[in-house]
Amino acid sequence: MGRKKKKQMKPWCWYCNRDFDDEKILIQHQKAKHFKCHICHKKLYTGPGLAIHCMQVHKETIDGVPNAIPGRTDIELEIYGMEGIPEKDMEERRRVLEQKTQENQKKRQNQDDSDEDDEDEEAGPSFQQPASTVQPQAAYAPMTQPGMAPVPAPGMPHGSYSGMPPMMPGVPPMMPGMPPVMPGMPPGMMPMSGMMPPTHGMPPMMPGMPPGIPPPMGHHPGIPHMAQAPPTTTRPAMPATTVSTPQPSVSKPLFPSAGQMGTRAPSTSSASSSLDTLSASSKPLSQVQQAGSGVAVSASATPSAAPKPTFPAYTQSSTAAAANTSSTVAKPGTPVTSKPATLTTTSATSKLIHPDEDISLEELRAQLPRYQCKIPSAGQAHISSPPVAAMGGVLPPQQGIPAQQPGVRHPMQGPYGAPPQAVPGYVPGGMPPYGQAPPMVPPYQAAPPRPAIGMRPPVMSPGGRY
Amino acid sequence: MSLFGTNTGFGSAGTGVFGTTTTDSHNPMKDVEVTSPPDDSISCLAFSPPTMPGNFLVGGSWANDVRCWEVQDNGQTVPKAQQMHTGPVLDVCWSDDGSKVFTASCDKTAKMWDLNSNQTIQIAQHEGPIKTIHWIKAPNYSCIMTGSWDKTLKFWDTRSPNPMMSLQMPERCYCADVVYPMAVVATAERGLIVYQLENQPSEFRRIDSPLKHQHRCVAIFKDKQSKPTGFALGSIEGRVAIHYINPPNPAKDNFTFKCHRSNGTNTATPQDIYAVNAISFHPVHGTLATVGSDGRFSFWDKDARTKLKTSEQLDQPITACCFNNNGNIFAYASSYDWSKGHEYYNPQKKNYIFLRNAAEELKPRNKK
Repeated sequence: MGRKKKKQMKPWCWYCNRDFDDEKILIQHQKAKHFKCHICHKKLYTGPGLAIHCMQVHKETIDGVPNAIPGRTDIELEIYGMEGIPEKDMEERRRVLEQKTQENQKKRQNQDDSDEDDEDEEAGPSFQQPASTVQPQAAYAPMTQPGMAPVPAPGMPHGSYSGMPPMMPGVPPMMPGMPPVMPGMPPGMMPMSGMMPPTHGMPPMMPGMPPGIPPPMGHHPGIPHMAQAPPTTTRPAMPATTVSTPQPSVSKPLFPSAGQMGTRAPSTSSASSSLDTLSASSKPLSQVQQAGSGVAVSASATPSAAPKPTFPAYTQSSTAAAANTSSTVAKPGTPVTSKPATLTTTSATSKLIHPDEDISLEELRAQLPRYQCKIPSAGQAHISSPPVAAMGGVLPPQQGIPAQQPGVRHPMQGPYGAPPQAVPGYVPGGMPPYGQAPPMVPPYQAAPPRPAIGMRPPVMSPGGRY
Repeated sequence: MSLFGTNTGFGSAGTGVFGTTTTDSHNPMKDVEVTSPPDDSISCLAFSPPTMPGNFLVGGSWANDVRCWEVQDNGQTVPKAQQMHTGPVLDVCWSDDGSKVFTASCDKTAKMWDLNSNQTIQIAQHEGPIKTIHWIKAPNYSCIMTGSWDKTLKFWDTRSPNPMMSLQMPERCYCADVVYPMAVVATAERGLIVYQLENQPSEFRRIDSPLKHQHRCVAIFKDKQSKPTGFALGSIEGRVAIHYINPPNPAKDNFTFKCHRSNGTNTATPQDIYAVNAISFHPVHGTLATVGSDGRFSFWDKDARTKLKTSEQLDQPITACCFNNNGNIFAYASSYDWSKGHEYYNPQKKNYIFLRNAAEELKPRNKK
């Protein structure tokens, strides 16, 4: 109340002299009429912002502010709502307004008795002040609303644009209100540079918000303005998107009951048709769930992917992947044993840290002699290198043992377990006797808990038992 | 003094606390080191199921051994037992009651390790190395599923030498995961097959791969009702695909994200792209962890589509990871994965398994 009011009148548009009830509407008007790019229809925040946008994006210059009255087309004057209006023009406007009101009053007064002129004239101007003091407060109100959410905005979209993989972790906690508005995810699988085009296709997103992102990056004085506008514009969007957060994992039967197995529509069918077939053929419980999910999906189909595009892949299509298409894509059935197909591991922008052969790392490694299994896979049972003899004994499994468990037992207690296992070994007596004398005979059939292994006689590790 | 094996010089005092110099980048995250780690690269890790009290970790390695440690509540690890194959061990899993450990090896066999008696018995045989092994517990049957480079997927009742069922696959099995009633197998040549396990295992659907490169790891995730609903698939090209089996809107619900790459912001030098070696889902939060050849691990929230954390870079690739049954412990193994070929293999280089407290870092981001 003690402030010196700069405006003392209703908000009005400097470019076209129109009046508005409050500044919020004035700003919307300016963005739609004066700061809108004629090429791509993107709404900017200021005249200079529009000029820069046209220059950078479309490589075009513009002469003046669109839809402005002559004399008010200066593109370089930064006006946002009621801010930035030159004092000269403000005074002129005030004078014009006063003239208008005085004319109105005079007309009315002329109808009255002339004796009352003096009193009326004094009263007249005073009427204006309360009225004018009320409006600035109302006009200021939107600006004082907390701008918490968008303040980080200049930083966040900055990151999303460049698609930096590691930079997101800190951001999500700060932006509870923002994500529904961020356009990266919803457009589908492969958006990238397309922060701008998707804004038009995305109904739930406030069209005002995303276009505001580039200007602050290029135009710093515009930031405080931008910080004030979004709270008002995004608020209506937020409840809508948060309410409609979808549950993609509504539980339907994962696999239809065995009898219906082949009838499932392939996963590529459209969402609606697959829901229909599911509800037709599934159990009652799942029908209820699907009906619910159908509603949820249809209500939230568009904002469903509200989550933010912080997975780095999202903002950049996989240029590396495209460049690195493996040669195996084309040959599904190529036998690998003789001459392995090779990968394309290097491109201009990236390098796959992987050997060239298109076999798995384990297959490659297993080919080495040092990893060859000591026992051939055929039926012979020959013992491999016998340092085992020194180590705590491998035992012949069978006859002598009152086997509770049939089959080959491998109480291996050394680094190399020698018993051949090629023979499936369930037939007792199929095992040839072992060459080495078993130095010790752990009574494994008695099954005492015997956890520890070493080359020494089995040692109970302290406290270690199952 | 080491309780395991012969030739490791790494006999720590069994306290499980890292003790090396601060400049050593083998443990930049300052996580707990597991004592007596294997002598060669660790290929797989698995924690005991909730049916057993306590936490027991088993890990298989290229030194042909499988080791078991008890992880105590104070973070100390106690080596318990070890068993051997005659070839490198590629996968391990637990039975649902926690009494048996199953191991799969390049020696073309799989074994059942009875922990109470510390005995092993062979339960499976393939024509080629067995790459994956999983325990299936169905209401009307229980069995072991083994996937092999011989292009077959076999199911074994552990009491019989012959498989209960053998399914032919289009290509060699590279990775698999089972969450009843669903199983997913990813093969060479970017094959991807989903199986349903009710009544008996059968092939459910072959899926066109969402990834353009060789498949490397897969993990099934569950929905809010704890039913399996989709899987995460990792490739050698630093990318993970999140794929739902029956999504309401496949184009929107399925997505891929890039990970385990270098030079995030610097576009002047070519970006190094590393393989994703393993993916694990947190059993409680549903968030996931990925580990890669770049020597980092990352935590992600697939529903919020955000990254939760990325670790510092270890000096070796991270080859395996897993969560314990209540999600408080995240274990990851640091060893060479052959991603740069045999020239970079140093048999003298120590291999590590680290344990990290995972209770807080994997909480999902709040929904907006």
